[in-house]
Amino acid sequence: MSTTSQKHRDFVGEPMGDKPVTALSGIGEVLGNKLEEQGFDRAFVVLGQYLLLRKDGELFTEWLKDTSGANTRNATSCSQCLREWCDSFL
Amino acid sequence: MAALSNKSDQEIKDLLDEYGIKHGPVVDTTRPLYEKKLKEAMAKAKVTVTKPSPDRTFYREDQEEVTYVTCQTPVRSEGPSGDGKPYMRSRPEYSERDRVDDKPYSRPEYSERNRVDDKPYSRSKLEYRERDRVDDKPYSRSKPEYRERDRVDDKLYSRSRPEYSSGRQYIDEPHVYNTPSSSSSYSKPTPVMKSGGVVKKENTTSSGRLIPLWIQFLVFLIVAGFLYFIFTNMESAESSPFNKIQ
Repeated sequence: MSTTSQKHRDFVGEPMGDKPVTALSGIGEVLGNKLEEQGFDRAFVVLGQYLLLRKDGELFTEWLKDTSGANTRNATSCSQCLREWCDSFL
Repeated sequence: MAALSNKSDQEIKDLLDEYGIKHGPVVDTTRPLYEKKLKEAMAKAKVTVTKPSPDRTFYREDQEEVTYVTCQTPVRSEGPSGDGKPYMRSRPEYSERDRVDDKPYSRPEYSERNRVDDKPYSRSKLEYRERDRVDDKPYSRSKPEYRERDRVDDKLYSRSRPEYSSGRQYIDEPHVYNTPSSSSSYSKPTPVMKSGGVVKKENTTSSGRLIPLWIQFLVFLIVAGFLYFIFTNMESAESSPFNKIQ
């Protein structure tokens, strides 16, 4: 099996619809709350931000770290999760 | 530089392009990120501008020293770099020998030095031996000697003559022992030893080996000889192991 988590596989396997932001890989309760405070209460809003940054993984990781205080590992995981979702569904 | 937060979105976009930063549209949510990136890029650009100069001065110093060797008239007043200059400068008459005199430490051609290097050789006879191991010391020691020669050149020169003739045998010996390759090998330790940037006259066009070449060959021959010795002294296996014991 690849190094992806179950959460990752769950998210990437289907359209995200209205899933909360905590459904994203790497985003737990704490980070989820921080993002919701900023107005990113759904996964698709975060997706919107990812798209705004032209789907650039590095930029998105940096943004996520600045906005929510995520560490590198979580931010990279979220970025990869979104990238793979976009590859399948965008 | 005006505060980045006061700039319009368009200006931020232009700045990002200027620094070659890949970016998307500058929107409410993306703006803080881009401002941060711009700040980093500006700080980095400022740092890189100031950086190269120290390196360049160092390089220039080396160059200055190199060109100074060929200069005929030594000017004592000049002398930003340290030890090497007085050494060269102290011998106006040896202007043509400047290059050759430097070579006692590198020693590419012994024949030239017959005329020229009386002094370094006669004076630094003992130092010559030591030079094999420690090049710094003889160099620094002989330097004040060279400085003396600046003032009292004739005397020293004539004085060294008999020394040279008597010491000639001594000097010849080590040289006979030293093959041309080994003489060039001496040049290699010296640049390594005097890495203080003083000895630039030697053309370290050689590959700058830490261990001289002749030593490498010698070690190789020793190991090969040793293996051969072992091989020839190995007992041969008996042709038929099943000899009847009688």
